[in-house]
Amino acid sequence: MEVKLDKRYPLDVDPARAWVILSDLKAVAGCMPGAELTEQLSDTSYKGGVKVKVGPAVAQFGGIVDVLEQDTAAQKMVLRGKGADKGGSSASMDLTAVIEVDPANPEHSVLHGDASVIVNGKFAQFGGRMMVQVSDMILLQFVENFRQAALALPAAAAPAGTIQSAVESSASASPTTASAAAPKVASEINGLAIAWALIKNWWLGLFGKRS
Amino acid sequence: MNAPVNDAEARELALAGMGASRLRKEDARFIQGKGNYVDDIKMAGMLHMDIVRSPVAHARIIKINKEKALAIPGVHAVLTADDLKPLKLHWMPTLAGDVAAVLADEKVHFQMQEVAIVIADDRYIAADAVEAVEVEYDELPVVMDPYAALLPDAPVLRDDLASKTSGAHGPREHHNHIFTWDAGDKAAADAAFASAPVTVSQHMHYPRVHPCPLETCGCVASFDPVRGELTTFITSQAPHVVRTVVSMLSGIPESKVRIVSPDIGGGFGNKVPIYPGYVCAIVASIVLGRPVKWVEDRIENISSTGFARDYHMDGELAATADGKITGLRVNVVADHGAFDACADPTKFPAGMFHICSGSYDIPAAHCSVKGVYTNKAPGGVAYRCSFRVTEAVYLVERMVDVLAQKLGIDKAEIRARNFIRKEQFPYTSAFGFEYDSGDYQAAMDKVLQAVDYKALRAEQAARRADPDSPTLMGIGLVTFTEVVGAGPSKMCDILGVGMFDSCEIRIHPTGSAIARMGTITQGQGHQTTYAQIIATELGIPSEVIQVEEGDTSTAPYGLGTYGSRSTPVAGAAIAMAARKIHAKAKKIAAHMLEVHENDLDWEVDRFKVKGDDAKFKTMAEVAWQAYHQPPEGLEPGLEAVHYYDPPNFTFPFGIYLCVVDIDRATGETKIRRFYALDDCGTRINPMIIEGQIHGGLTEGFAVAMGQQMPFDAQGNLMGNTLMDYFLPTFVETPHWETDHTVTPSPHHPIGAKGVAESPHVGSIPTFTSAIVDAFSHHGMTHMDMPHSAFRVWKELKARGMNL
Repeated sequence: MEVKLDKRYPLDVDPARAWVILSDLKAVAGCMPGAELTEQLSDTSYKGGVKVKVGPAVAQFGGIVDVLEQDTAAQKMVLRGKGADKGGSSASMDLTAVIEVDPANPEHSVLHGDASVIVNGKFAQFGGRMMVQVSDMILLQFVENFRQAALALPAAAAPAGTIQSAVESSASASPTTASAAAPKVASEINGLAIAWALIKNWWLGLFGKRS
Repeated sequence: MNAPVNDAEARELALAGMGASRLRKEDARFIQGKGNYVDDIKMAGMLHMDIVRSPVAHARIIKINKEKALAIPGVHAVLTADDLKPLKLHWMPTLAGDVAAVLADEKVHFQMQEVAIVIADDRYIAADAVEAVEVEYDELPVVMDPYAALLPDAPVLRDDLASKTSGAHGPREHHNHIFTWDAGDKAAADAAFASAPVTVSQHMHYPRVHPCPLETCGCVASFDPVRGELTTFITSQAPHVVRTVVSMLSGIPESKVRIVSPDIGGGFGNKVPIYPGYVCAIVASIVLGRPVKWVEDRIENISSTGFARDYHMDGELAATADGKITGLRVNVVADHGAFDACADPTKFPAGMFHICSGSYDIPAAHCSVKGVYTNKAPGGVAYRCSFRVTEAVYLVERMVDVLAQKLGIDKAEIRARNFIRKEQFPYTSAFGFEYDSGDYQAAMDKVLQAVDYKALRAEQAARRADPDSPTLMGIGLVTFTEVVGAGPSKMCDILGVGMFDSCEIRIHPTGSAIARMGTITQGQGHQTTYAQIIATELGIPSEVIQVEEGDTSTAPYGLGTYGSRSTPVAGAAIAMAARKIHAKAKKIAAHMLEVHENDLDWEVDRFKVKGDDAKFKTMAEVAWQAYHQPPEGLEPGLEAVHYYDPPNFTFPFGIYLCVVDIDRATGETKIRRFYALDDCGTRINPMIIEGQIHGGLTEGFAVAMGQQMPFDAQGNLMGNTLMDYFLPTFVETPHWETDHTVTPSPHHPIGAKGVAESPHVGSIPTFTSAIVDAFSHHGMTHMDMPHSAFRVWKELKARGMNL
């Protein structure tokens, strides 16, 4: 099944630092709960995996992530990931992620992600109806990790707010620094937390609220 | 009769023969949990098989890495198509004249297709090893819609057939086209439409469903390398056919292949085909020289074994202004999945779909069925019906309703105007079937009176007049005719073997008996009903008659149990074998009584000398004589075998009426009343008939109201567990009212027609008819199944009828 996600997450981080994290695939992987890059195959290609646990169902996708495009000027990354799980599931994702300047506050940024995720096999069959909700929860955890990683970077010397300054500041921060700044996160996606959040949202939905 | 009437009647009752509501002999073991199913079979040294299946619906296999699986302690073998290739067993023929991959050969064609097998010490190790087999796929575009499959630029699904311009059933017009099959007279039908004052047309999709028997498929294969003999216990509705196919595939002489169908936990067509799992377990047993057990799980059963239906149908009727039907045209696009594995008689790639003129005297008719490949599991089995009869009955019953609605004629009235009349039987339909017997009008009158149809219509009118009514009321009516009992070998064969069936009866010296049959019960109660036929024919109490089926080493060859063929074909074989014994017994009795055969009368359980009540010999006494001192010139013993090749099909019919109340707020449908009148000819055991009808109605209810196999665009089957797939329990199942008329089949030895499938075939369009009827005053002519609350609610909402 295919899930299309187009999301904007406002961050209280300046665009420069956010781009430092986004442009470093290892740092991005570090922010994704349960994900890791295990091997660099080329400048733009990595081997890695992601482990997702929902209740008793565990899927461990192993595969390849390719950076199709890295546009520093536009602060845009285009990625394609493809993987399979031993238990009879496979998944692929096309993701375009952009760091935008928050129109309301040039000191802040917006992480804009546009993704198409295709899941096949058992994971689609069992998890199909929860895919959107689970994706939302995973992304919220990811964004929080991303934000913390960016905040942990030293603030940019130049005043933030322009693309130019952001580019300069990103150039000054080495990828190693960004990776090091990635926070320690749970080694796998926390199924119980997801389940709880789903139940909570459902209850709130009954009373006309959405968290 | 000379004997006191009461005495003969008492003796007849004691036999518990035909017409008696004898309790099922099978139930004692089933309700105590003492059945013997395939998964109950354990053999010394037995290994376990599990299957690596494709997560994707269409892909090229780049690489299969077995190393990690083989390294797991307790794993004996991992086999792929490449391992089967030297044995030429990586592909196998299907019953429909196509080939199917046993294990995916270079390509996978549907999700959950068999890619590799693992053989291990136990089921758990096998399951772990399945996860350790690494398969790399290169995904290809997926085709799920049969119409899209026929577009000029559609991806080629079957590389192996890409260059073939003809298949088993004639020319192929496209790389994803399997066959086009026509029946009837197109020119005559077109002429009827050209001159008709009224025509109607309706598109409908009969969705893909799965028979979903409680017991899944499986087998235990045991090859004895010393004797060179193969024994396989298998969940099969046709063990003798399996033996023939296994012998042909393996090269082992048929005399050294023994196939046993033990107790079977429901079949419903799902256990007719020969599945890759069976073949792999047999190969593994031959390779390893040890017994190998394979039993699939529920998800595997629903995802990969024989589905049913998936017919996209366009029906048209031509009629006079007063509703007399003058012509029928039907075009079908049939989604057969990745391999054409339909289980139909060889000459009929769309089965008996041409029964679609139904119970009506339609002078001109034509149908055309186009089979198409898609990236779905293969199948097309007859789910509790005789080869596509369910689709045919659905089509014609829906069309008659559509016509009635257009003309503003009542559903019952339009049927009465078009019925084949009692005096027209035997009636040859525009499609060439010779209907054996029927009395539709009398049966419909009985039903309409029983439910007070006029009062129901008045109540509906009152309900419609009330804008605040919380419910919509609908009345469904179906007057169906089935064609069952395949079949005459001049028309019907499977892999070249005529569709006869067989019975062997042995009367023992002390007057008890054993009957062995070519059929196999899967819940139908053969052990009970077959004995009753013999009891009546030979005057032996059914209690002392054993019925054995399913073991090819002991039973005579038969084509098995499906398509309601057990009673029409095997039931006739029993009667004929019994009559051979009866004829011999009469000679022995005449000898014992020292009279001429012609001076004997048969009465219940004895031969009596005409005019002398005191002089008689019972069948038990005759049996003893047959073994003790047979008359000179007669062989000792008392037994007979009969292979019965039916002269025609049988045509059971029924009149079903259903009243529904649909909740306008939720779309939930309450089945207020379901009245089912069946005519299956002579009735052997009314209690078993009642049970069969309840079962069939319940499965019909399941199909109409909830069963579906939803696929996403990538070919994932989104409902392959019992969490999703609707199997009704007592909680959901409505109350059934049953009734009957009896119109015996004139060509059947005991006049019986078969019954187990009628309630399934007949009830499904009845539910649709009722649901559509509830909406008909808002212009709805048809709604595709399933009629789940959500789907019905959407119809309510679309018309602004919801509360």
